[in-house]
Parts: sequence; structure tokens; C-alpha cells
Amino acid sequence: MDHFPTNWGRPRNDGFDAYGTYPIAQRPYNGLGNDVFSEGVQRTQQPIVTGTSVLAIKYKDGVMMSADNLASYGSLARFKDIQRLHPVGTNTIIGAGGDMSDFQYIQALLDDLMVEEFTEGDGDGHALGPGEIHEYLSQVMYARRSKMDPLWNSLIVGGVKDGKRFLSYVDLLGTTYSASTLATGYGSYIAQPLLRKAVEGNEDNITEEEAVKILEQSMKVLFYRDARSLNKYQIAKITSDGVAISESRSVDTQWSFADGIRGYGAQTQ
Amino acid sequence: MFRNTYDSDNTVFSPQGRLHQVEYALEAVKQGSAAVGLRSKTHSILLALKRSTGELASYQQKMFRIDDHVGIAIAGLTSDARVLSNFMRQQAMSSKMAFNRPVPVNRLVSAIADKAQVNTQEYGRRPYGVGFLVIGQDQSGPHLYEFSPSGNSYEYYAMSIGARSQSAKTYLEKHYESFADCSLEDLIKHGLHALRETLQQDKDLNVNNTSIGIVGAPSVHEKTTNVSFRILEGETIQPFLDTMVPKDAPAAAPAPPASTDEDVQMAE
Amino acid sequence: MTSIGTGYDLSASTYSPDGRIFQVEYANKAVENSGQDLSRSTAIGLRVKDGIILAVEKLVHSKLLIPEANRRIQTLDRHLGLATAGLLADGRQLANKARDESANFRDSFRSPAPVKYIADRLGSYIQVYTLYSSVRPFGISTIIGGVDQDGPSLFVIEPSGVFFGYHGAAVGKGRQLAKTELEKLKLSDLSMRQAVLEAARIIYLVHDDSKEKTFELEMSWVGNDTNGLHVPVPKDLLSEAEQKAKAALEDFE
Repeated sequence: MDHFPTNWGRPRNDGFDAYGTYPIAQRPYNGLGNDVFSEGVQRTQQPIVTGTSVLAIKYKDGVMMSADNLASYGSLARFKDIQRLHPVGTNTIIGAGGDMSDFQYIQALLDDLMVEEFTEGDGDGHALGPGEIHEYLSQVMYARRSKMDPLWNSLIVGGVKDGKRFLSYVDLLGTTYSASTLATGYGSYIAQPLLRKAVEGNEDNITEEEAVKILEQSMKVLFYRDARSLNKYQIAKITSDGVAISESRSVDTQWSFADGIRGYGAQTQ
Repeated sequence: MFRNTYDSDNTVFSPQGRLHQVEYALEAVKQGSAAVGLRSKTHSILLALKRSTGELASYQQKMFRIDDHVGIAIAGLTSDARVLSNFMRQQAMSSKMAFNRPVPVNRLVSAIADKAQVNTQEYGRRPYGVGFLVIGQDQSGPHLYEFSPSGNSYEYYAMSIGARSQSAKTYLEKHYESFADCSLEDLIKHGLHALRETLQQDKDLNVNNTSIGIVGAPSVHEKTTNVSFRILEGETIQPFLDTMVPKDAPAAAPAPPASTDEDVQMAE
Repeated sequence: MTSIGTGYDLSASTYSPDGRIFQVEYANKAVENSGQDLSRSTAIGLRVKDGIILAVEKLVHSKLLIPEANRRIQTLDRHLGLATAGLLADGRQLANKARDESANFRDSFRSPAPVKYIADRLGSYIQVYTLYSSVRPFGISTIIGGVDQDGPSLFVIEPSGVFFGYHGAAVGKGRQLAKTELEKLKLSDLSMRQAVLEAARIIYLVHDDSKEKTFELEMSWVGNDTNGLHVPVPKDLLSEAEQKAKAALEDFE
């Protein structure tokens, strides 16, 4: 049923997608025909199947990262068992938000790269670490955006090499930056302040258990506030021992009415 | 005109399965003046003998810097060396660009070796007429490689190429086991002694005809804190030349090998 | 009929009156005794129950060479290895081509290339170099081994471009003796570790002490023991195999 009163009593127009159920590019165009450029080269103008936030922090033993298992199709929770944390080599993990098919392409690209390293290097002791992989990805992302054909992702690259922690970000524009806490997507608004408060200046003291707690807490907040998130996520840690990605897990949440909760809304006591 | 039917072209195997053009290219390397390379646990060094065409001419360039961590010494056709060293510089830059990583030395050497192989298999080209000694320092420590026009490359503890290099090689084979724990000064001293073996009887090494290339921490004789590849020439090498044992001091200097100039001749 | 001086042996694009291509035959000679790069060596490959073992007799032409630094067996992909006898530089060129082929297959199908596919592509590539006067044939015999969906497989490619599958393969100078030794083995019953020991023994046996300089044994393997990765045989196993090979050689003599 059409819930928009302004449409009632008018002839039905199946060409108009009143609910925005399709991604913009697939919506029927209701304008007056095509302009002269409509037959021109078409590039990616928006992501289609998307993942939301990735969170990452440095802690005592290395780097920890988390991302949920959801790939959304517009607002539809389309795929609920997608892994968005991807190991590269023995001491690097990349986490991806944004377009999942572009991310799969990036995974293939990195796999080719690792095969090349494996064969040409042939155990010569020059394995690519997180720093090298981040540099490579940033060159790929910047080259693609310069062709006006970006890979629509925000990526976090984390790892440990030669006892040093590495954590850095790169996105569809080729922008990079490093910090001891990183978050992509909605997480950069909601979770980043929480992560900073918990981690900054404390990177060398946070234990593995504490790091897991910090991420759990942030993932929970994100699940409450981000409509494109899922209460099913994974945590990856990278230490000098290598890479470990957890099974999917969830946190306890509370969705009852807020009337009993103190300190919320208009309540004063 | 030709020595045999099978030597005018690099796309022809001889009945014995040899490639004469490639073998002749290896002879071109021996026409160039000698270069010597040595490696210790902490350093790799190059030493080369520069020729001059006359009193009014400058001395030739025998060493090239490829990147902060890599340098080469050449023997043979200098113009071929310039082409190959430009290629090496490009490889070094693209490694920095793509991965922010100094190119691993072994891969750099393999890259030019693979490039040189093509010139031994296809018509209308000639094999490169130059040999390299490549030194470099990377994550796995100091290295020394030899590259030759046949498209082969090998890693060595110490090596010499160029005219009368066999004499230097004989010296190196006698002493190489001590190189690993040498100080930079002792390593250079060994290198100079080896290089001197390639000289004719009446000649000696001096500040004009000798180049020294180094990767690794600086020597006490250097006025630098630089650990990357550098070429020492002119007056700066005098302190190193001073460390050499004079030629005619019989006991301290290693016995010169019997043969002196056999490999200046063409093979066969 | 002798080939020399007839004029029929100067180009790969020329047949002799009796239908031979002498340049390809000379390329085979290069496999056995090429002069300039001291590669008159033997390479063998063993296909056993759950893996492949490659081994080469690597001649050491100078004591200034750094042991183990100059590898002769090459890795083409995670699951593929290649050993050659003949011109070393040609071997490297072919390995690079094989890596391209394997990477292309991976890009097209998102799965590792079957060993036979790579052998087929390389065979075709090598054959092209027997057709024209503007190139010379490859002066190498190649053993390519790996593990794919159908288990381990092993191929030999000759300078003519022809290739066959084998249980046990030998190329290069000592291939006759090596083949005789391989034929004595029950290859399909051997474990990978046993095969490593046998491969080492055969390489030590075929090495001709009187004629050749010293040599280094280089071995790699791929199979169940290596998680399907083509990697060098670990040091401890390698030295165990070398010791047993030396002991067996003394018994033999």
C-alpha cells in the first residue's frame, strides 16, 4: 500500500520508487529524457552492496580490529555472513567498509601480489609487511580515484612487523592517515571518540582482554545507533605471533522501553 | 672473417650447444679495467681501477650510484652500463613508489639479468657488453652480486671482473674466509691488494686511478656519518692507500700469483 | 648424416633434407654441456603418493659463491615448482613466463592453475622458438611439478616444446643413470620424506666426482607435508638426506 497521502487518488506510477528501495543508480529516471552525455562512459558513482564501520586500535601486544558481518543492499540487510576482515600474508590484516564487490576485487589484487612475492622473492626474507601493503593500497586507491573510477572503500590496514605496530587508513580518495585508534564509516562519528578516550596515551598498557572489551563496547554502541549494522561481528588481533581472526560473536543488548532507565531523556531523577 | 660458421649471430647454437656471441660478449667484459667487490658482516665494498686515455684526459667513470642502498662497479662497455643502470634506478624508484620499500638487492640484480637474457635469444640485438659488480644493503644485510651479459647473476663473498681479474680472484680466494669479520678499513685494504694484482708490473694504485664504493657505516677516514652508498675518489682515498703494504715488501704482502695477464687474451 | 657445414643447421627455420631441425638438436646439446655458464648439471623430479620432490645437482664454480644463496629451483606459484638443466638464464626467462601464465589463470578462474595446463602453455611457448630464424630455441630441459585438484603431477618439457607426464623424471647431463635409479623405485608407494632421501641419493650417485667441480644439492618439495606450498626442503631434513646419500654412496663403491 502507498503510505504517502499526497499520492492517494492519483494514477499509480510504478516508475517512481517512493520508498527508495533501490540504490539511486537503479531507480527509474522520472525526468524528461536523456542529456547529450547519457551515452558517455559510465563510472562507479556510488557503492551498491555495502559494509559499514571498521574499528581498530593499538594495544600492548599489537593491533586489534573489528567489523560486523553485514553487507547491506541499500537499507536491506542483504548478506549476514560476510567477513570484512581479511588477512594478507602472516602479519597484516585489512578491514573494509564500503562496496563489498570492490573489496573482493582488492582481496584478489592482494592475493596476486602475495603470490608474486612468494614466487619472485622465494623466501629471500623480504616479505611485505603492513607498511608496504598500506603504501601499495594507497597507490592503487589514489590511481583509481584519479581516473574518476574509484574503488569505493574505506580500508584500515593493521599489523605488526619487526616488533613494531602499524595502523593506518586509506579510502576511496587515496587519503591516508595513521593514529592509534581508527574507525571508518558511521564508526568514525560514533565509536572514534570512545576509542580515543580509552586508548590514546595508553597504547602500551592495554592488555588483550581490555582491548577486546573496548571494541565490544564500541561495537555495541554502533549496533544501537547504526541502522546498517549487525549484532554479529568478528575481532582480529595481530601480534608478533601472527594473525588471528575470531569466530563471529555478538553482545547482549537491551531494547525494552527507556522509561525505567535513569538519566535518559526528559527524566530528571 | 669469422672464427667459425656459428659465431656471427646470437640466435644460432653451435653444434656443441654453445652461443658464441654470448661468449664474445663475456670477452668484452674482460676488455674493461678491473673491478673488485668484497663483503663483510657489516659492509659491502667495491674497488675499481680507472683508465685514462692520456695526460689531458680525465679518468673514466667506473662506479654508479643506483639508490641510497645500492651501487655498482662496471667493466666493459660504459654506454651499455648506463642503459642498465638507468633501468636499475627505475626499478629502485618503482619499489619506493609502490611499497615505500628500498628494492631488495637480489631482485634488482635478477631484473637486469632477465633483461640481459632476452638479448641472447632474439635476432637483431647483441648481448650487453658489460659486467657489473653490485653491492647493496637491505633487510637481509650487506650483499655482493655479479651480473654478466649471459643473463646470469650470482651472489659472492668476494668477486672481481675485468682485465686480469683472475689475479685479483686468486688473492680473494686465498683470503675470503677472513672477510666476514673484517673492519671496513681492513676490508678496503684487502680490496686494494686484490685490485693491485690486476695492474701491470710498473704501475701502482693512486688517488687518480682508484675508486672505492661503500655501503655501511663510515670509516674513521671519512668525514661523514652517511651509511648509504657512496663513492670515494681523489684525495679522500689517500688514507686508505696508505694502509697498503708496499708491493716490494715481501713478507707482509701476499705472494702474487704466477700468471698475470692470461685472461686478457681471447679464449681458445 | 653430418650436420656441420651443410648450411642446414644455421637456423631453426630450416629443415635438413632428411627432415631434421638441427638447431633444436643443438639446443639439446646445450642442455648437456653448455660451456659458458657451468650448468652441466642434472635435475630430477619424483612424483610420489602425496607430493612432488625436485632436486638439482648445483655445480659450484667458485668457492667465493655464497652457499645456498644462488637457487636453481624456482617457484612459479604457491603450488608449482620448476627445475631446469641447461642455460640458467633461459630457465629464469621460462619461469617468469610460467608465473605470468599461472597468474593469468588465477585472475580468470580464481583458482590455482592445474599443473598440466601450465606444462601445456609452456610447451607451446617453447615450440614457438623452434619456428623462426629470428630466435633460437630454449637451451633447457624443464621439470615442472606441483599439486593441484587431482593430486601431484610432474611434467618434462624438452627444447622442442614436447612435454610428457612422468612418475619420475630426470634431465641434464646425468639423466640416463638417474632414470635407471628412478625406475628401481616404487614411486607411488613412497612418502614425501622417503622420496627426499631417495632424490638426494640419486643426485649424489650421478654426480661425476672425477670430471666436475664440487656441487651443492638443492631440493624443494610440494605436497601434503608442506600444506600444498612449493618450498625448499627444510635444512635438517636436507642434511639428513645428504648424510644418508653419502653413506649409501660409500656402500655402493
